[in-house]
Amino acid sequence: MNDVSSGSKVGCSLRYSGKPVSENHVLNLLNVAVWAPNDGLREPWRFIFMGPGSADIMRGLQEQAPAYLVLVVKEEQDLHKREEDFAATCCLMQNFRLLARESRLHVRMTMNDWIYDRAYAGRLGVQKDERIVSVLEMGYLEQTLEPAAAENRPGFTFELL
Amino acid sequence: MDFMKTIPERRSIRRFHSSPVDQELVFALLREAQQLYPSGEAAAFRCVYAGTADSRERLAACMLEPLVKNRLVKWLPEKVRDFVRKRVTDIPGHLAVIARNDPDGRKSDMNYAAVCGIMQNFQLVAWQRQLGVLWDTETIMQSKALFDLFKMNPDERLVGIFHLGYFDRVPKARARTRAEKKWTVLPERGGGSVE
Repeated sequence: MNDVSSGSKVGCSLRYSGKPVSENHVLNLLNVAVWAPNDGLREPWRFIFMGPGSADIMRGLQEQAPAYLVLVVKEEQDLHKREEDFAATCCLMQNFRLLARESRLHVRMTMNDWIYDRAYAGRLGVQKDERIVSVLEMGYLEQTLEPAAAENRPGFTFELL
Repeated sequence: MDFMKTIPERRSIRRFHSSPVDQELVFALLREAQQLYPSGEAAAFRCVYAGTADSRERLAACMLEPLVKNRLVKWLPEKVRDFVRKRVTDIPGHLAVIARNDPDGRKSDMNYAAVCGIMQNFQLVAWQRQLGVLWDTETIMQSKALFDLFKMNPDERLVGIFHLGYFDRVPKARARTRAEKKWTVLPERGGGSVE
Protein backbone atom coordinates (compact mmCIF):
# COMPACT_ATOMS: atom_id res chain seq x y z
CA MET A 1 0.00 0.00 0.00
CA ASN A 2 3.05 2.25 -0.30
CA ASP A 3 2.18 5.10 -2.59
CA VAL A 4 -1.33 4.44 -3.79
CA SER A 5 -2.40 7.84 -2.51
CA SER A 6 0.14 9.66 -4.65
CA GLY A 7 -1.40 12.35 -6.70
CA SER A 8 -3.06 13.89 -3.73
CA LYS A 9 -1.34 17.06 -2.70
CA VAL A 10 0.52 16.26 0.46
CA GLY A 11 0.98 19.05 2.95
CA CYS A 12 -2.13 21.00 2.12
CA SER A 13 -4.19 19.30 4.79
CA LEU A 14 -7.43 21.14 5.34
CA ARG A 15 -8.96 22.05 8.64
CA TYR A 16 -12.48 20.68 8.66
CA SER A 17 -14.91 21.79 11.32
CA GLY A 18 -16.82 19.20 13.28
CA LYS A 19 -19.98 19.77 11.26
CA PRO A 20 -21.02 16.53 9.57
CA VAL A 21 -21.88 16.34 5.87
CA SER A 22 -25.45 15.20 5.63
CA GLU A 23 -26.36 12.51 3.15
CA ASN A 24 -29.53 14.42 2.34
CA HIS A 25 -27.70 17.58 1.48
CA VAL A 26 -25.39 15.74 -0.92
CA LEU A 27 -28.41 14.05 -2.53
CA ASN A 28 -30.14 17.41 -2.91
CA LEU A 29 -27.14 18.87 -4.69
CA LEU A 30 -26.78 15.78 -6.87
CA ASN A 31 -30.42 15.95 -7.93
CA VAL A 32 -29.63 19.33 -9.46
CA ALA A 33 -26.21 18.27 -10.77
CA VAL A 34 -27.73 15.37 -12.76
CA TRP A 35 -29.02 18.02 -15.20
CA ALA A 36 -25.69 17.66 -16.97
CA PRO A 37 -25.72 17.18 -20.72
CA ASN A 38 -25.21 13.49 -21.56
CA ASP A 39 -25.41 11.77 -24.90
CA GLY A 40 -28.52 9.70 -25.51
CA LEU A 41 -29.64 10.38 -21.96
CA ARG A 42 -27.58 7.38 -20.90
CA GLU A 43 -26.97 8.94 -17.46
CA PRO A 44 -23.88 6.75 -17.15
CA TRP A 45 -23.03 7.70 -13.55
CA ARG A 46 -23.65 6.37 -10.07
CA PHE A 47 -22.57 7.48 -6.61
CA ILE A 48 -20.96 5.93 -3.56
CA PHE A 49 -21.24 8.00 -0.42
CA MET A 50 -19.08 7.49 2.61
CA GLY A 51 -19.87 9.37 5.77
CA PRO A 52 -19.07 8.64 9.39
CA GLY A 53 -17.27 5.35 9.83
CA SER A 54 -15.53 5.51 6.48
CA ALA A 55 -12.10 6.42 7.85
CA ASP A 56 -11.03 2.77 7.85
CA ILE A 57 -11.98 2.23 4.23
CA MET A 58 -10.12 5.29 3.01
CA ARG A 59 -7.06 5.16 5.25
CA GLY A 60 -3.91 5.31 3.15
CA LEU A 61 -5.91 6.06 0.02
CA GLN A 62 -7.32 9.52 0.65
CA GLU A 63 -6.74 12.44 2.95
CA GLN A 64 -8.93 12.38 6.01
CA ALA A 65 -12.27 14.08 5.42
CA PRO A 66 -15.71 14.05 7.08
CA ALA A 67 -17.26 12.48 3.96
CA TYR A 68 -16.39 11.16 0.53
CA LEU A 69 -18.32 10.91 -2.70
CA VAL A 70 -17.04 8.43 -5.26
CA LEU A 71 -18.17 9.12 -8.82
CA VAL A 72 -18.49 5.92 -10.83
CA VAL A 73 -19.13 5.69 -14.58
CA LYS A 74 -20.32 2.72 -16.61
CA GLU A 75 -17.86 1.68 -19.29
CA GLU A 76 -19.44 0.97 -22.66
CA GLN A 77 -17.82 -1.43 -25.13
CA ASP A 78 -17.80 1.33 -27.72
CA LEU A 79 -14.77 3.51 -27.04
CA HIS A 80 -16.37 6.64 -28.44
CA LYS A 81 -19.39 6.27 -26.15
CA ARG A 82 -17.04 5.56 -23.28
CA GLU A 83 -15.35 8.91 -23.85
CA GLU A 84 -18.69 10.72 -24.10
CA ASP A 85 -19.81 9.11 -20.84
CA PHE A 86 -16.63 10.10 -19.05
CA ALA A 87 -17.10 13.69 -20.27
CA ALA A 88 -20.75 13.70 -19.15
CA THR A 89 -19.74 12.54 -15.67
CA CYS A 90 -17.15 15.32 -15.56
CA CYS A 91 -19.93 17.83 -16.37
CA LEU A 92 -22.03 16.41 -13.54
CA MET A 93 -19.03 16.67 -11.22
CA GLN A 94 -18.53 20.31 -12.19
CA ASN A 95 -22.21 21.04 -11.54
CA PHE A 96 -21.88 19.44 -8.14
CA ARG A 97 -18.80 21.49 -7.29
CA LEU A 98 -20.48 24.76 -8.29
CA LEU A 99 -23.51 23.90 -6.16
CA ALA A 100 -21.40 22.80 -3.21
CA ARG A 101 -19.52 26.10 -3.30
CA GLU A 102 -22.82 27.99 -3.17
CA SER A 103 -23.76 26.03 -0.05
CA ARG A 104 -20.29 26.46 1.53
CA LEU A 105 -19.57 22.77 1.42
CA HIS A 106 -15.90 22.35 0.60
CA VAL A 107 -15.07 19.79 -2.08
CA ARG A 108 -11.60 18.59 -2.93
CA MET A 109 -11.45 16.65 -6.18
CA THR A 110 -8.93 13.80 -6.35
CA MET A 111 -7.96 11.24 -8.96
CA ASN A 112 -5.37 9.26 -7.01
CA ASP A 113 -3.50 6.28 -8.45
CA TRP A 114 -5.51 3.69 -6.52
CA ILE A 115 -8.72 4.42 -8.45
CA TYR A 116 -7.11 2.74 -11.47
CA ASP A 117 -6.48 -0.41 -9.46
CA ARG A 118 -9.27 -2.96 -10.02
CA ALA A 119 -8.65 -4.61 -6.65
CA TYR A 120 -9.03 -1.39 -4.68
CA ALA A 121 -12.01 -0.24 -6.72
CA GLY A 122 -13.62 -3.66 -6.33
CA ARG A 123 -13.58 -3.30 -2.56
CA LEU A 124 -16.00 -0.42 -2.95
CA GLY A 125 -18.25 -2.57 -5.09
CA VAL A 126 -17.15 -1.10 -8.41
CA GLN A 127 -17.99 -3.64 -11.12
CA LYS A 128 -15.87 -4.83 -14.06
CA ASP A 129 -17.82 -2.70 -16.52
CA GLU A 130 -17.40 0.42 -14.39
CA ARG A 131 -14.60 2.73 -13.37
CA ILE A 132 -14.06 5.41 -10.77
CA VAL A 133 -13.84 8.89 -12.29
CA SER A 134 -12.86 10.68 -9.10
CA VAL A 135 -13.21 10.80 -5.35
CA LEU A 136 -14.52 14.01 -3.81
CA GLU A 137 -13.40 14.75 -0.27
CA MET A 138 -16.05 16.83 1.43
CA GLY A 139 -16.44 18.81 4.60
CA TYR A 140 -17.07 22.21 6.11
CA LEU A 141 -13.98 24.31 6.69
CA GLU A 142 -13.17 26.18 9.86
CA GLN A 143 -12.29 29.20 7.77
CA THR A 144 -12.94 29.92 4.13
CA LEU A 145 -10.04 29.59 1.75
CA GLU A 146 -9.00 32.64 -0.19
CA PRO A 147 -9.36 31.91 -3.87
CA ALA A 148 -5.97 32.09 -5.58
CA ALA A 149 -5.39 35.13 -7.74
CA ALA A 150 -6.56 34.68 -11.30
CA GLU A 151 -3.18 35.81 -12.67
CA ASN A 152 -1.57 32.60 -11.43
CA ARG A 153 -3.52 30.64 -13.96
CA PRO A 154 -1.96 29.61 -17.23
CA GLY A 155 -3.91 31.06 -20.11
CA PHE A 156 -5.38 29.29 -23.10
CA THR A 157 -5.02 30.30 -26.70
CA PHE A 158 -8.03 31.44 -28.66
CA GLU A 159 -7.52 31.38 -32.39
CA LEU A 160 -9.82 32.27 -35.22
CA LEU A 161 -10.29 29.78 -38.02
CA MET B 1 -24.49 33.47 -9.91
CA ASP B 2 -27.37 31.22 -9.11
CA PHE B 3 -26.32 27.79 -10.34
CA MET B 4 -29.19 26.13 -8.45
CA LYS B 5 -31.36 27.81 -11.07
CA THR B 6 -29.13 27.77 -14.17
CA ILE B 7 -28.06 24.12 -14.04
CA PRO B 8 -31.54 22.56 -14.31
CA GLU B 9 -32.78 25.26 -16.71
CA ARG B 10 -30.02 24.83 -19.28
CA ARG B 11 -30.88 22.90 -22.44
CA SER B 12 -28.86 21.81 -25.43
CA ILE B 13 -29.93 24.02 -28.33
CA ARG B 14 -30.23 22.61 -31.83
CA ARG B 15 -32.13 25.37 -33.66
CA PHE B 16 -30.42 28.72 -33.82
CA HIS B 17 -31.22 32.02 -35.44
CA SER B 18 -28.84 33.50 -37.91
CA SER B 19 -27.72 36.50 -35.82
CA PRO B 20 -23.94 36.41 -35.44
CA VAL B 21 -22.14 35.44 -32.25
CA ASP B 22 -19.43 37.95 -31.48
CA GLN B 23 -15.97 36.45 -31.06
CA GLU B 24 -15.25 38.87 -28.18
CA LEU B 25 -18.22 37.45 -26.30
CA VAL B 26 -17.08 33.87 -26.91
CA PHE B 27 -13.64 34.73 -25.58
CA ALA B 28 -15.11 36.51 -22.54
CA LEU B 29 -17.32 33.52 -21.75
CA LEU B 30 -14.34 31.19 -22.01
CA ARG B 31 -12.41 33.35 -19.57
CA GLU B 32 -15.33 33.35 -17.20
CA ALA B 33 -15.70 29.58 -17.53
CA GLN B 34 -12.04 29.08 -16.75
CA GLN B 35 -12.20 31.38 -13.72
CA LEU B 36 -15.08 29.37 -12.30
CA TYR B 37 -12.85 26.33 -12.31
CA PRO B 38 -10.62 25.81 -9.23
CA SER B 39 -7.31 27.49 -9.96
CA GLY B 40 -5.26 24.79 -8.29
CA GLU B 41 -6.16 22.36 -11.06
CA ALA B 42 -4.49 23.57 -14.22
CA ALA B 43 -6.14 22.74 -17.51
CA ALA B 44 -4.09 22.67 -20.71
CA PHE B 45 -6.30 23.39 -23.70
CA ARG B 46 -6.81 25.72 -26.64
CA CYS B 47 -9.78 26.88 -28.66
CA VAL B 48 -10.40 27.63 -32.31
CA TYR B 49 -13.42 29.71 -33.28
CA ALA B 50 -15.20 29.72 -36.62
CA GLY B 51 -17.63 32.62 -36.64
CA THR B 52 -17.33 34.05 -40.15
CA ALA B 53 -19.08 32.80 -43.29
CA ASP B 54 -15.76 31.89 -44.84
CA SER B 55 -14.44 29.94 -41.84
CA ARG B 56 -17.75 28.06 -41.52
CA GLU B 57 -17.50 26.99 -45.17
CA ARG B 58 -14.01 25.63 -44.56
CA LEU B 59 -15.17 23.84 -41.43
CA ALA B 60 -18.14 22.33 -43.28
CA ALA B 61 -15.91 21.07 -46.09
CA CYS B 62 -13.71 19.26 -43.58
CA MET B 63 -16.65 17.82 -41.67
CA LEU B 64 -18.02 16.48 -44.95
CA GLU B 65 -14.81 14.84 -46.01
CA PRO B 66 -15.36 11.49 -44.25
CA LEU B 67 -18.80 11.36 -45.89
CA VAL B 68 -17.47 12.21 -49.33
CA LYS B 69 -14.80 9.54 -49.04
CA ASN B 70 -17.37 6.98 -48.02
CA ARG B 71 -18.50 5.23 -51.22
CA LEU B 72 -22.03 4.75 -50.05
CA VAL B 73 -22.56 8.43 -49.69
CA LYS B 74 -21.18 9.13 -53.16
CA TRP B 75 -24.32 7.54 -54.54
CA LEU B 76 -26.49 9.82 -52.50
CA PRO B 77 -27.87 12.86 -54.20
CA GLU B 78 -26.02 16.12 -53.96
CA LYS B 79 -28.97 17.30 -51.85
CA VAL B 80 -27.92 15.21 -48.89
CA ARG B 81 -24.42 16.61 -48.89
CA ASP B 82 -25.82 20.10 -49.22
CA PHE B 83 -28.06 19.47 -46.26
CA VAL B 84 -25.11 18.54 -44.03
CA ARG B 85 -23.03 21.43 -45.36
CA LYS B 86 -25.84 23.91 -44.79
CA ARG B 87 -26.42 22.65 -41.26
CA VAL B 88 -22.83 23.67 -40.44
CA THR B 89 -22.74 26.95 -42.37
CA ASP B 90 -26.13 28.12 -41.07
CA ILE B 91 -25.12 27.89 -37.41
CA PRO B 92 -23.54 31.24 -36.47
CA GLY B 93 -20.56 29.99 -34.49
CA HIS B 94 -18.48 26.87 -33.93
CA LEU B 95 -15.95 26.60 -31.14
CA ALA B 96 -13.49 23.72 -31.20
CA VAL B 97 -11.98 22.80 -27.83
CA ILE B 98 -8.70 20.92 -27.95
CA ALA B 99 -7.07 19.38 -24.87
CA ARG B 100 -3.47 18.40 -24.33
CA ASN B 101 -2.75 14.73 -23.68
CA ASP B 102 -0.08 13.60 -21.29
CA PRO B 103 2.03 10.43 -21.66
CA ASP B 104 0.89 9.62 -18.12
CA GLY B 105 -2.68 8.32 -18.45
CA ARG B 106 -3.75 9.60 -15.06
CA LYS B 107 -2.52 13.12 -15.85
CA SER B 108 -4.30 12.97 -19.19
CA ASP B 109 -7.53 12.01 -17.43
CA MET B 110 -7.11 14.85 -14.96
CA ASN B 111 -6.57 17.36 -17.72
CA TYR B 112 -9.47 16.01 -19.77
CA ALA B 113 -11.72 16.17 -16.68
CA ALA B 114 -10.66 19.78 -16.06
CA VAL B 115 -11.32 20.78 -19.67
CA CYS B 116 -14.75 19.12 -19.54
CA GLY B 117 -15.48 21.01 -16.31
CA ILE B 118 -14.56 24.30 -17.97
CA MET B 119 -16.72 23.38 -20.96
CA GLN B 120 -19.69 22.76 -18.66
CA ASN B 121 -19.03 26.15 -17.04
CA PHE B 122 -19.03 27.68 -20.51
CA GLN B 123 -22.42 26.14 -21.28
CA LEU B 124 -23.82 27.56 -18.03
CA VAL B 125 -22.49 31.10 -18.42
CA ALA B 126 -23.57 31.13 -22.08
CA TRP B 127 -27.07 30.11 -20.96
CA GLN B 128 -27.11 33.02 -18.51
CA ARG B 129 -26.55 35.31 -21.54
CA GLN B 130 -29.28 33.56 -23.58
CA LEU B 131 -26.64 32.09 -25.87
CA GLY B 132 -27.47 28.53 -26.90
CA VAL B 133 -24.90 25.75 -27.07
CA LEU B 134 -24.78 22.24 -28.48
CA TRP B 135 -21.78 20.15 -27.44
CA ASP B 136 -21.16 18.02 -30.51
CA THR B 137 -19.18 14.80 -30.10
CA GLU B 138 -20.19 13.11 -33.37
CA THR B 139 -17.64 10.55 -34.57
CA ILE B 140 -17.58 12.42 -37.89
CA MET B 141 -15.41 14.98 -36.13
CA GLN B 142 -12.57 12.61 -35.44
CA SER B 143 -11.24 12.94 -38.99
CA LYS B 144 -7.84 13.76 -40.39
CA ALA B 145 -9.30 16.62 -42.41
CA LEU B 146 -10.53 18.32 -39.24
CA PHE B 147 -7.36 17.61 -37.29
CA ASP B 148 -5.39 19.22 -40.11
CA LEU B 149 -7.73 22.19 -40.21
CA PHE B 150 -7.16 22.79 -36.49
CA LYS B 151 -3.41 22.11 -36.90
CA MET B 152 -3.58 19.51 -34.17
CA ASN B 153 -0.43 17.97 -32.74
CA PRO B 154 -0.16 14.26 -31.95
CA ASP B 155 -0.34 15.09 -28.24
CA GLU B 156 -3.71 16.81 -28.57
CA ARG B 157 -7.28 15.59 -28.65
CA LEU B 158 -10.44 17.24 -29.89
CA VAL B 159 -12.80 17.21 -26.90
CA GLY B 160 -15.72 18.57 -28.88
CA ILE B 161 -17.11 21.34 -31.00
CA PHE B 162 -19.62 23.74 -29.50
CA HIS B 163 -22.23 24.95 -31.96
CA LEU B 164 -23.31 28.41 -30.81
CA GLY B 165 -26.18 30.74 -31.54
CA TYR B 166 -29.16 32.62 -30.19
CA PHE B 167 -32.52 30.87 -30.12
CA ASP B 168 -36.26 31.47 -29.80
CA ARG B 169 -37.55 28.29 -28.37
CA VAL B 170 -36.36 26.45 -25.26
CA PRO B 171 -36.62 22.69 -25.79
CA LYS B 172 -38.61 20.64 -23.30
CA ALA B 173 -36.80 19.07 -20.39
CA ARG B 174 -35.93 15.38 -20.58
CA ALA B 175 -36.38 14.14 -17.04
CA ARG B 176 -33.37 12.83 -15.16
CA THR B 177 -33.17 9.81 -12.89
CA ARG B 178 -33.12 10.76 -9.22
CA ALA B 179 -29.73 10.44 -7.54
CA GLU B 180 -31.32 8.21 -4.86
CA LYS B 181 -31.69 5.49 -7.51
CA LYS B 182 -27.96 5.53 -8.19
CA TRP B 183 -26.89 5.75 -4.59
CA THR B 184 -24.84 3.44 -2.37
CA VAL B 185 -23.71 4.21 1.16
CA LEU B 186 -20.56 2.69 2.65
CA PRO B 187 -19.92 1.22 5.12
CA GLU B 188 -23.19 -0.62 4.76
CA ARG B 189 -25.66 0.06 7.48
CA GLY B 190 -27.12 -2.56 9.74
CA GLY B 191 -23.97 -4.63 9.46
CA GLY B 192 -23.95 -5.25 13.18
CA SER B 193 -21.67 -2.44 14.27
CA VAL B 194 -23.15 -0.39 17.05
CA GLU B 195 -22.29 3.22 17.75
